[in-house]
Amino acid sequence: MADGETPLLDELEKGPWPSYVKEIKRMASKNAASKDLLGIQELSYKDKVTHWKHGGIVGVTGYGAGVIGRYTDMPDKFPNAAAFHTLRINQPAGWFYNTKSLRTICDIWEKYGSGMTNFHGSTGDIILLGTTTENLQPCFDALTDAGFDLGGSGSALRTISGCVGKARCEWSSIDTLDIIYNLTMEFQDEIHRPRWPYKFKIKTSGCPNDCSAAIARADFTIIGTWKDGLRIDQEKVREYVDKGMDINGLIVNKCPTYALEWDGKSRELKFYEDDCVRCMHCINKMPKAIRPGVDTGATILIGGKAPIIKGAYLSWVLIPFMKMEPPYDEVKDLLRKIWDWWDENGRTRERLAELIERVGLKTFLKEIGLKPVPQMVYKPRANPYVFLK
Amino acid sequence: MGRTDIGPPNYQDMLPDVIKKNYGKWKYHEIQRPGVLKHVSESGDELYTVRVGSPRLVSIDFIRDLCDVADKYCDGYLRFTSRYNVEFLTDKKENVQGIIAEMERLGLPVGGTGNSVSNIVHTQGWIHCHSAATDASGIVKAIMDELYDYFTSMKLPAYVRIAVACCINMCGAVHCSDLAIVGVHTKPPKIDHEKVLAQCEIPTTIQSCPTGAIRRHPDTNIKSVVVREDLCMYCANCYTVCPAMPLADPIGDGVAIYAGGKVSNARKPPMFSRMVVPYLPNNPPRWPEVVDVIKKIVEVYANHAKRYERMGEWIERIGWEKFFKLTDIPFTEHHIDDFTHAVETYRTTTQFKW
Amino acid sequence: MAEVTEELKQKVIDYLKTVTKAKNKEVAREIGEDKHLVDKAIAELGKEGKIEYLYLGASFIKLKE
Repeated sequence: MADGETPLLDELEKGPWPSYVKEIKRMASKNAASKDLLGIQELSYKDKVTHWKHGGIVGVTGYGAGVIGRYTDMPDKFPNAAAFHTLRINQPAGWFYNTKSLRTICDIWEKYGSGMTNFHGSTGDIILLGTTTENLQPCFDALTDAGFDLGGSGSALRTISGCVGKARCEWSSIDTLDIIYNLTMEFQDEIHRPRWPYKFKIKTSGCPNDCSAAIARADFTIIGTWKDGLRIDQEKVREYVDKGMDINGLIVNKCPTYALEWDGKSRELKFYEDDCVRCMHCINKMPKAIRPGVDTGATILIGGKAPIIKGAYLSWVLIPFMKMEPPYDEVKDLLRKIWDWWDENGRTRERLAELIERVGLKTFLKEIGLKPVPQMVYKPRANPYVFLK
Repeated sequence: MGRTDIGPPNYQDMLPDVIKKNYGKWKYHEIQRPGVLKHVSESGDELYTVRVGSPRLVSIDFIRDLCDVADKYCDGYLRFTSRYNVEFLTDKKENVQGIIAEMERLGLPVGGTGNSVSNIVHTQGWIHCHSAATDASGIVKAIMDELYDYFTSMKLPAYVRIAVACCINMCGAVHCSDLAIVGVHTKPPKIDHEKVLAQCEIPTTIQSCPTGAIRRHPDTNIKSVVVREDLCMYCANCYTVCPAMPLADPIGDGVAIYAGGKVSNARKPPMFSRMVVPYLPNNPPRWPEVVDVIKKIVEVYANHAKRYERMGEWIERIGWEKFFKLTDIPFTEHHIDDFTHAVETYRTTTQFKW
Repeated sequence: MAEVTEELKQKVIDYLKTVTKAKNKEVAREIGEDKHLVDKAIAELGKEGKIEYLYLGASFIKLKE
């Protein structure tokens, strides 16, 4: 293969889905680091292994997070990507942007980096992919001058993210964007200076549809919900039925707790509030006719994570219902209590859920001062092994 | 030195006027066509959203292209979704066609709404990760080329969320997706004893192993570790804390496929994805074996699930026995869990389907 | 909460001289000071460029070389 040719990657320029290879090539024509990135990627496709190594100590002054050190294992062949560090930039809540800000980031990254980005990383940050050790500090300084700051990495609070919330969703029971922004500003030190046993993630979704996957991906999960009944507009229900919706088959029979009944005679959708578990199905399918209630707040759950080390967890219910009003002091106090306990008791690389599983939920509740409630469990224990003290 | 701890920009400075004005007042929405949403406020104001697929790994010129469109049609505002889609927002209905035409010009698909296959959440892979067992962006491109038509339409029983993680660290937590592709190693770490001495802390390395397979080197003169290979399940947690123990292997590395997870609480509570294919080899640039399995599962699901039934709900209704039969995927000993929460998955009833 | 003093920061530095890397909680325990105060002192030392952060599967601090 002649130098600079990429026969394997060229295959990924074909097909209808937009091609990231085309994107790298756009930069490769004018940026040496991106040109080497393309070469490294082609080599990985040939060798079927990664050509990146663990990072060393890189960062910007005063921060222990937000920069991921990265070096290629073939610096002689790819000198322009020998050091290819990532900056994580904390996104504005909800990933809303004005084009002026976006263009500023592009200009800064054109000057200091490879010109390649992720919009966005899995956790939520803008990812600026690939710069040298020398460029880190000036790039960071230019970004903060433009009003941006780094996100979390390492054993720190990770960048907080969540769904679009009240900005564009009629189902949001909580103001996710305000919660994200408020907590992010409160916990800048926790985001930027890693000190805990391992990472800690906070995510929030405005309703039980959980579009940000907070229950699977966050140690601390805030999901909007409500306590009163559904708001049903019977006139609009009839409109759906008249337009041919199979209300029994698709709505009533799919309600998991039999809280709905269609009365064909009176043409009315009967609602049994006590039976409703607020799952969102009927609301999702009849948005013009059925809306969430108005006594709104959040369910707080804890412990969600991916498999490393002891297996994957979905977050567990900690507080079934909490009002969510700024300045969110109750949430902040709870977070600080949890962090202190986890930091004191957790082993290195032990996530919150793993620590709780090791010592027991009962112990955790006692230590942070919460009373057990039935909503925390699907069912009580079946075994008799209780330490009655 | 610059300022520190200023935090991100305030989101309020990033919102178009129609959203500022109707914040928290949205009443209902409808999907006008695949990729186009209309939200209506209590005030009567309307907001149109055009949703567009992106490859996520993009150049600054791509972002500038998006900005040009947003300046022309959306008063200079746009947003991204948690699945890397781009959303153009406008209160002017007449702008929708213009935005769609611009997307056609840029070669970006409009879709990802309702009962579609939306964009694939994924990790860095060979583009940037030291612990990747496979690439991510390339697999995503290969799958989305094949499922393109499901992104730009809404003909599935329910939406299908797909995720790719390049190793079992699963950055982005793919473990609750309708379909998940996860990079896996299949060979134990190769230990460089000299590097262990220089780069690794031995107690931390030993403690990192979830199965207790790592021990001190029996020769006390060698300050290093050994791995009991019969206990190793190739998780690479040791490599994360000790760079002298790489697992990456051109022949052994590949991917596993999982199915049936969800995070939404609609109808059934959230569910984990479950292993359906323990291993397929890495076959770049287009991973044809992986694409075939994914396409097959999506098509069988599309043909058999009831309306509004998510992948996992469908599988629960028909039973895993029938899932493996319908998809022609062999059920093997690897599908039976033997890790921490294994017994919860063993069946304790006489109910099955034939 | 008490303020971070120069004396406290020196105690942190003196301890870090004895190890290759450390977690904040270990520093606090070893020098017998309040954990939150030590967190603050370490943040200040970071901003002064006297300590740096190391990532090896988890994050640690060490004296800047």
